[in-house]
Amino acid sequence: MEILRALESSGFSIWVRESGSLWSFPGILLVHTYGMGIMVGLILAVDLSILGLVPALPLAPLQKFFPIVWTAFWLNAITGTILLAADATTKLRNPDFGVKMAFIVLAVINQRMIQKRLFGDTPSTTNGKALAWASIACWLGAITAGRLLAYVGGGVK
Amino acid sequence: MLQILENSAHVHLLLNHVPTVGFGIGLLIFLAGLVAKSDVLKRTSLVIFFLVAVVAIATYVSGNAAEAVLTGTGRADFPPGVSPAAIRVHEDAALLAFALMEVTGFFAWLALWQWRRVSAATPLAGWNLPIVLVLSLVTFGLMARAAELGGHITHPEIRVGGLRQGDVIQSFNGQPVTSEDGLRAMTAAAAAGSMANVGIVRDGKPETVAVELVDAAAAEKRAARTTDAASLGVRLIEPLTQELAAQYGLKPGAEGLMVAQVHEQGPQGPADTGTARAIGLWVTSVTWVWPTAETLHFVGLCMLFTVVVIVDLRMLGMIRSVPYSAVYQLLPIGMLGFGLNLITGILFFLGVPAQYVKNPVFYWKMVFVVLGGVNILYFMLVDEAWSVGAGEDAPFAAKVAAASAIFIWAAVLFCGHMLPFIGNSF
Repeated sequence: MEILRALESSGFSIWVRESGSLWSFPGILLVHTYGMGIMVGLILAVDLSILGLVPALPLAPLQKFFPIVWTAFWLNAITGTILLAADATTKLRNPDFGVKMAFIVLAVINQRMIQKRLFGDTPSTTNGKALAWASIACWLGAITAGRLLAYVGGGVK
Repeated sequence: MLQILENSAHVHLLLNHVPTVGFGIGLLIFLAGLVAKSDVLKRTSLVIFFLVAVVAIATYVSGNAAEAVLTGTGRADFPPGVSPAAIRVHEDAALLAFALMEVTGFFAWLALWQWRRVSAATPLAGWNLPIVLVLSLVTFGLMARAAELGGHITHPEIRVGGLRQGDVIQSFNGQPVTSEDGLRAMTAAAAAGSMANVGIVRDGKPETVAVELVDAAAAEKRAARTTDAASLGVRLIEPLTQELAAQYGLKPGAEGLMVAQVHEQGPQGPADTGTARAIGLWVTSVTWVWPTAETLHFVGLCMLFTVVVIVDLRMLGMIRSVPYSAVYQLLPIGMLGFGLNLITGILFFLGVPAQYVKNPVFYWKMVFVVLGGVNILYFMLVDEAWSVGAGEDAPFAAKVAAASAIFIWAAVLFCGHMLPFIGNSF
């Protein structure tokens, strides 16, 4: 708890939370939202393609987008950590935050399995559709839990 | 800022001709296309329906800004000739017409999309053309009704609710008014919602205005010893001093009651009933509605970004092995995401219109949404985009359109995100 309070009261965290500058909390959250749109947008295209909803779109070339997916993911991991540091004691005590993290961990594992199985050296479509559905469900869960952080458990919105 | 608010009534008057006139033209061209069996005419009308539906989003939201001007947010007086009841009726009619117009626009867009998906050479046909026909006929009727009701809001000869601060009331339905108690007895005997002819002196000139009576405030009811009294909804100055009479250009010795203040309609007043307000109240008062709509707004954003990222990056040179016709199949995902965000966005707007109509960032967001609607047409109608095959580089114009699309939708997200930070929304 002490370390969280120290994190929260660091100069940087206070600037993020209280400076009122558009570059602080609003700007960091904006980058977080762009990252989400790009990452989930690309993953959704891959999932729908695996599910056969866009028959004309070949699956294999879509792997060229994976570097963008992971860049957006790490961008959001960084911006997410900054946002968390600014409000550590409240957010880490909020069960909804744990739900969001659980969905993201599952989604990341799932995404790695999709890339390994369907785009690896010997692509196989075994359980492909189940993985695609799981991907959609996990990201939907992460977005829902993330959005609800502004409404449950208090803290910085 | 105030300038935006002042101008928005004019903006609405300008924009509101687009849905009515544009839709009428679109409908005529569509019918002509059906009679003449001309695909060019049918396609033209579908494009018009879609564009009109996009502009209608801006028209609808500008209506609330116009209302804020007419009913004077932060002002005590209604300008002459403006009836809150007429605004309420127009708003509900407009909401219904707007909803139908967006559905029509969606099906028109889908028909355009299907036509291109099959082949540019195949005739335009499909199950959704009859749907577009029926929807567009119904929408046109509802639009005309909304426009006609809108015309009633300010009409010089109707002059509804015409009392202004500084008016001197001299008669009520032909009966001379000499005291506040006497006037209160006369209004209390009438029904709330009914009209009364009030003789006044305004700017030194005598005239008669029709005033809609409102439900009296609790204090007035107590004074009149009744529970269902109507009232003019104004605060009066009594007695009328000679100084005030001279100041407002009355003849020496003139009698009457001066209007000190016109009350705004309270939460129970006529301006706060109707479908649009009922939906707004549902959005803000039921706990789970706002967070759920926010969550769906983010889901819609991701669906829209699927198209923005894949289609536009293909045009800019990524996944060049995939022909344009393949990524084109993703377009309905983006359109469904946009539809989800339009519905949830309108729910936010109906919930707390005031926080958007006073927010400059919201106007920019609407401008970019309209630009996005125009932008998507390039990717649907222009042959040079369509003919980008597997392994081929897109033409320069397609790259410009793709880069613009990324900029436009990033700007829409930016404006939406900044609503609480630059403006005052939540």
